[in-house]
Amino acid sequence: MKDDLDKYIKLCMKNDREGQLKIYQLFSPVLYGICLKYMKNEDDAKDVFQEAFVIVFQKISQYKFEGSFEGWLKRIFINKLIETLNKKKKESFFLDVFDPDTDFIEEEELDVIPIEQEKLLEYIRDLPDQYRTVFNLYVFEKMKHKEIAELLKISEGTSKSNLNRAKHILQKRILQSKKNFKIA
Amino acid sequence: MKKQKIEDIFSSMEDFTSVPPPELWGQIEEKLDKPKKKKRAILWWSAAACLLLGLLLPSVLHFTSNDLGVKTIQNGSVENNVVLDQKNNETDKTRSIENNENILEKESNNNRVSSSEKTINQSQNNSLNQNSETAKKQSDSPKKTNNINFESGLNGQKNSEVAEKTFVPTQENGLNAVSKNQISTNKKENTNRAVAEKTFVSAGENGFNAASKNQILTNKKENLNKAVAEKPFAPNKSNSFNYGSKNQSTDLEKRNADKILAEKKFAPAKTNKFNAASANQLPNSIFEDLKSSKNKNAMAFNASNSTAKRNSNTLSPSKENIEKTTAEKSIASVQKDYSKNNAAITNANILSKKDSVQLAELQNLEKGIAAASVEEKKKKEDKLLSKADKWALQVFAGVANSENYKNNKTLGNVNDSKQSNSYGVKTQYKINKKWAVASGLKINELGQSVANVSYLNAKKQALFSSSDYFVKNETVPQIASDTRYVLVSNSTKDVLQSENVETGNLDQNLRYIEMPLEVSYSIFSKKRTNINLNTGGFVGRLISNSIAIDGNSMGENVNANDYVYGTTLSSTVQYRVYKKTNVFVEPAVNYYANPLNNQSFNQFQWGLNFGLNVNF
Repeated sequence: MKDDLDKYIKLCMKNDREGQLKIYQLFSPVLYGICLKYMKNEDDAKDVFQEAFVIVFQKISQYKFEGSFEGWLKRIFINKLIETLNKKKKESFFLDVFDPDTDFIEEEELDVIPIEQEKLLEYIRDLPDQYRTVFNLYVFEKMKHKEIAELLKISEGTSKSNLNRAKHILQKRILQSKKNFKIA
Repeated sequence: MKKQKIEDIFSSMEDFTSVPPPELWGQIEEKLDKPKKKKRAILWWSAAACLLLGLLLPSVLHFTSNDLGVKTIQNGSVENNVVLDQKNNETDKTRSIENNENILEKESNNNRVSSSEKTINQSQNNSLNQNSETAKKQSDSPKKTNNINFESGLNGQKNSEVAEKTFVPTQENGLNAVSKNQISTNKKENTNRAVAEKTFVSAGENGFNAASKNQILTNKKENLNKAVAEKPFAPNKSNSFNYGSKNQSTDLEKRNADKILAEKKFAPAKTNKFNAASANQLPNSIFEDLKSSKNKNAMAFNASNSTAKRNSNTLSPSKENIEKTTAEKSIASVQKDYSKNNAAITNANILSKKDSVQLAELQNLEKGIAAASVEEKKKKEDKLLSKADKWALQVFAGVANSENYKNNKTLGNVNDSKQSNSYGVKTQYKINKKWAVASGLKINELGQSVANVSYLNAKKQALFSSSDYFVKNETVPQIASDTRYVLVSNSTKDVLQSENVETGNLDQNLRYIEMPLEVSYSIFSKKRTNINLNTGGFVGRLISNSIAIDGNSMGENVNANDYVYGTTLSSTVQYRVYKKTNVFVEPAVNYYANPLNNQSFNQFQWGLNFGLNVNF
């Protein structure tokens, strides 16, 4: 599998369309999933997905066959997603300043209820851009607040605040769905 | 009830995957092709710029040459007239340049519009092409399959490796259409709708479309299935998800109305890893199949979810084996339908084992013959290819500017450049990929303009005769055949101080029919673009010879040589516009060794040719 992947990558480096298609087929579900998690609506996700894939194929010659290729792809996609979100700063993106009084809300543990992935995705995408981005980076990309702060050019405090608020919103949504679940 | 944190709840989303809509790949392809278009656009722009430059060059040169000309100087008021004329010329020049600039702007605007339109058209075309290409690729995507031979005996057609292709050509055995019908009749209470678009199939490699479809298959919920993929029915021994999904959906006698919406499919990675192992035992031959009438087509679909997670609501297929006993029926009925349409197959079904063996041998023979003929064809094609495109025919036209770099003088006045046109045809023979030789015929004009030339006009001076002192005086060179005009050198003019001496522009043109012999070397060749460096020599035969002062013909230049020879150096930038047709721009410099005897003349010539090149 690794050999095949390397072969496809080398084909892509030669701008071979078959190789590009193979890489696309292999990684598009994961990468499209990431785009859906980061972008509010599907059209935006599609746009970023396309643009990021084009960048991938344009810059694939920079891949040195060191480390995970999927990780390399994800980095490109996340950078592109953040770049796109940064352009949408109208929504007071990352302007939140950390406020210890309001942002240290005790995280409540919730009952285990089955929630479909579609629902979870919906909850994530309903978050404001800034919260969603921090939440994604922290929870899914396992980044630390310091790294997130550097990446998003915000303070660590803002990153923590955004995460807390995101969790708070999600908590509410899940509790709401729990109620609905019980009623049903 | 067990408690968990938000992060834990969302941990299942960590490996969240979703199949992108099929059209996205086409759009990515389109974007990947865009830089090429830019390059093309640049080429077109450069060609257009060259064309404009070529068209403007004559006018620019014309104005520069006119600046130096002073038309008439009479009655001792030489200096004043000169100044006035120069001023007038300057104002004229600036006006004309302004006009030219305006024209340029207009033209460039027009070009911009047209080129952008072209780009749009190209992109549209390309996107269409790409789509079709993608479709082709997808349809041709290989699958891990076992070969199933449908041998239609009397037709002599062998459709081996059916499973290697996504679809079976209807021309071969009509199975495609039949099988589709078969599927529809076998659907029973299922309302699967196959609306087909594109399928991204990577057999054996977790093809995501296939995976998404399989999810629905394994999903026991009573969903409405709408399979978004046009997939022909082809009995497949392998674990091709596409076929499997469709066949099973028809054969599972559930009252499912599945609706697969490929675009919005949530396929959790941890749950969609299928281990599908089909155990279809299809016979290798239809003959055997029908003869024995004991088809044991047991299609089994073993969808296992080894890493099924705690999310019960996810579309996770539980372990299940679905034996496909109805596959036998469907295949048999396909064959039935087919046999109705084609009596040959029916006959073939009756063939005995021996017959089938003989038939197989015959087919092998046919195959061998066919293979041999294919090889021969290939060889022929190779030969043709090697022969093809060896020759090229070029038709070109352009502008040329004759100059000299020695500050040569005629009658004490500096020789100025003169602009002319050239055109011709050339044939080129490619020796190999890099080198080529070329020859042809070209009409070219070498010219010269000399300002401030003093002369006496016998037509105006009644008392002046051509047998006068000046004509007979050997120290005054006479270059024109018409003796009514007597050219006077600057030194003689000063001595003479005659009122009859006029001054004007002396124009000389020598037109040749030339035969060049050139060697070309390809310095750049990529896709549609070619850049060659050409050098060689030429021989020219004088076909026209004229000399005029202030537009009044003075006959011919008596010093002109009938034959001229010289060298040439040029660079051809060629762009393929259609199959074997190319357009090219060719800046060139020519050196004429001996245009005139006993008189200095412009010997260098800069040229810019535009032309069409057809390979054959």
